[in-house]
Amino acid sequence: MTARLLPSLFLAFFLACALVQIPFARYLKNRPVVEKIGYVPHAELLKMGSADQKQFMAALLVSKVLTYFGGVTQQAERKVVIPMDIRGIHRHLEGALKLDPYNMDSYYFSQALFVWDARNVPLANSLLDYGMKYRTWDWYLPFFAGFNSAYFLKDYRKAADYYRRAGDLSGSDLYQSLAGRYLQASGQTDLAIAYLATMEKGARSSAIKKAFGIRLAAFREVKRIEAALARYRSENGKSPVTVQTLISSGYLAPPPRDPYGGEFYLSPEGTVSTTSKFAFAPKGKKP
Amino acid sequence: MRFVMFITLKGFFRDRLVHGLLISLVFFAAIPSLSNLSMRQVTELSITLSLSMISVLQLVLAVFLGGTSLWKDIERRYAFSLLALPFSRGRYLLGKFLAVALFTLGVAVVLGCVTCAVVTIAAASYPPDRPIVWWNLLLAIGMDACKYILLSSFAFLFATVSSSFFLPVLGTLAVFMVGSASQGALEYLGSSEAATMAPLFKRTVSYLYYLVPNFSAFDLKVNAIYGIPVSGRGMILTLLYFVAYLGAVISLAMLLFSRREMK
Amino acid sequence: MTSQTLHEPAIELANLCKVYSGKGGSRLQALQGVTLAVRQGEVFGFLGPNGAGKSSAIKSIMGLITPSSGSVRIMGQPATDPDSRQPVGYLPENPSFYDTLTAEEYLLFVGRSFGMKWVTLRQETERVLKLLEIWDARKRPLRSFSKGMVQRVGIAQVLVHDPAILVLDEPMSGLDPLGRALVKEIILDLKSRGKTVFFSTHIIADVEEVCDRVGVILNGELRAVEEVREVMAAGVHGYRLKIRDTESGEIEEVTIHRPALSGYLHGLTPRKEILLMEPVRRNLEEFFLELVKGAAAPGPEAM
Repeated sequence: MTARLLPSLFLAFFLACALVQIPFARYLKNRPVVEKIGYVPHAELLKMGSADQKQFMAALLVSKVLTYFGGVTQQAERKVVIPMDIRGIHRHLEGALKLDPYNMDSYYFSQALFVWDARNVPLANSLLDYGMKYRTWDWYLPFFAGFNSAYFLKDYRKAADYYRRAGDLSGSDLYQSLAGRYLQASGQTDLAIAYLATMEKGARSSAIKKAFGIRLAAFREVKRIEAALARYRSENGKSPVTVQTLISSGYLAPPPRDPYGGEFYLSPEGTVSTTSKFAFAPKGKKP
Repeated sequence: MRFVMFITLKGFFRDRLVHGLLISLVFFAAIPSLSNLSMRQVTELSITLSLSMISVLQLVLAVFLGGTSLWKDIERRYAFSLLALPFSRGRYLLGKFLAVALFTLGVAVVLGCVTCAVVTIAAASYPPDRPIVWWNLLLAIGMDACKYILLSSFAFLFATVSSSFFLPVLGTLAVFMVGSASQGALEYLGSSEAATMAPLFKRTVSYLYYLVPNFSAFDLKVNAIYGIPVSGRGMILTLLYFVAYLGAVISLAMLLFSRREMK
Repeated sequence: MTSQTLHEPAIELANLCKVYSGKGGSRLQALQGVTLAVRQGEVFGFLGPNGAGKSSAIKSIMGLITPSSGSVRIMGQPATDPDSRQPVGYLPENPSFYDTLTAEEYLLFVGRSFGMKWVTLRQETERVLKLLEIWDARKRPLRSFSKGMVQRVGIAQVLVHDPAILVLDEPMSGLDPLGRALVKEIILDLKSRGKTVFFSTHIIADVEEVCDRVGVILNGELRAVEEVREVMAAGVHGYRLKIRDTESGEIEEVTIHRPALSGYLHGLTPRKEILLMEPVRRNLEEFFLELVKGAAAPGPEAM
């Protein structure tokens, strides 16, 4: 009896598998991207549990962060805004750096993310300082830290220190001269564009490359507005009140577009800003 | 002893162990493309993945080969005829252990060559910031092999006193985990964060630290991946530690095994 | 070989005791004061029912278990010394060998472990494999062998280094009648070449056919050690006579006890003709059964 029952039983389950397969695959395909980055164990536990696979575990954590980041930015382009779990990312990167303090991907990513999207420059710089203790040969870390100090923190003395270090390590005078140029606030947009262009060119992950590309596009728009602003000032002898004035008076065509979905405006100090703050929708708010 | 070693090695090859290892080559083949997922350290990632793969394979070999090779001889009653041959139990055990150790070394040599090839390919697609220190890479693989040889000596030790296969396998895994974490645990206990911990717990950890081998000294992955210089004196001390520890564990295993009743 | 070792017993057990302690403090007395000397050049049968302690005694000889007390010597050397096994070939009960190897490879391994020269080893391997009729299967892994073939490999690996002493634990088990006959033939051949053979069995017919002496072990105690020839001779306890009355032609059959035989013969009248006279003997089996019954009846220690 079982001899006859078993083949039909197998056939029935096999058909069931085939039937479930289609809706199952569709469900998986349309499942929302990893919205939650998930939990990382305490760094000490992670270190002890990884035995002799610390570097591998670190690489795994970074790749998890990267997948999450890629998923969220992809959704942002489709105008679906998911607040990014910056704290979760931070926990992951910190875990990765505890496991493998030499992991360059972690520093690179934290520089790309914390500085712009999270606006937590001191955090980014503290991670970079930590990394400089280990990656003693690497000029990238002081280069990042120098940019952060000058552009965001306006701490030019510290920036100069970092750039000198980057210059010493890379054997190039470029960074020392960069430090000097940061002293003029007016040159900041140019330098940010130069920095972002370098980063974009060196980026290997497509998600990261895209992120830099968007930011670069935003700064090119700022640059365009600044140029229009300068022309308006020299021709009219006064400053315009709004960006709209520049557009309507023909100095700025086509109208600038913020890829982050914000709107450009002129600050009372006369500099160009955007409501998006160069980041996709700050937590929860729709643009 | 030699003959036991040869015949055991022959058994490993006949058991299709090599076929199993060949499957791992498929994973090695995937490493160059996997490494491209890295943003900034493609070559470094390829070294990380290769070394991780070698470690995992060696761990499996140490635990299962070390844990079952003696156990199987007793369980399948091969030992009755083997131990009646005119050599001592100690020599028999040593022969079996040398077979496992040699096999581990052989696997390390083969996978070491594969790693060199894989890393060369990865480095060609995206040159690293710093030149690869090949000597460090080979040293890391060599020290890894030493570590797993030491670990399999524990598997043998457990197998001499156990009639089941659980103690050798699970006991060896436990030794591996404790031995890999003991350095970190000891350092953590010394830190101010751990000041509130129970003194008994602290004492247990420090006993374990001295009893179980400290495997973290054998881990040169960071040096291999990022080209960080290796301390020569440290290596000599680690090798001395390896020889002394291995000698102690194996001689204890030989002693216990020579007293075992082959009922 | 010195003159001293010449007179040495091949295997000597002196007051051998073995106690197995099991779980929960249970104790099993497997051997109780066994004293035995197997002479060089004899075939000694070790007879006993299952669980009598045969294997424990043999494992003590081979150093596989440590006696609780007493000692074992092989050619005067203590059995705890691995060198004592140099002149010994051992066949375990229900043997099992590395099953990924071939019969030939295993034999070569055994021979090399005994320090044989490569050339002689190859010749001897071929000889014993042919002798045991497994030469054609020599290149096959042992895992493909039947039980009887494995037993033949077991005997081959005993013979390959031509040892002076052979210790065989149940050599006939697992063999078909042809195999049994072959093994008996081999044992008789070994005897003719002056080898010592010590083998355990629970089959009495095997002992009758090939052994010089027999030891009977029961419940861990050695109950008797006898010359097989004497047991057989001592076993003649009477005679069966077929007598014909030459006048009446009647044939009568009588059985006479041995002591009464001469009296009976004297009392025969001349018209009686003895057609046949044959000894009535108690065979080894009866001897053995008697010992077993004798042990079972009063024995408080009987299992």
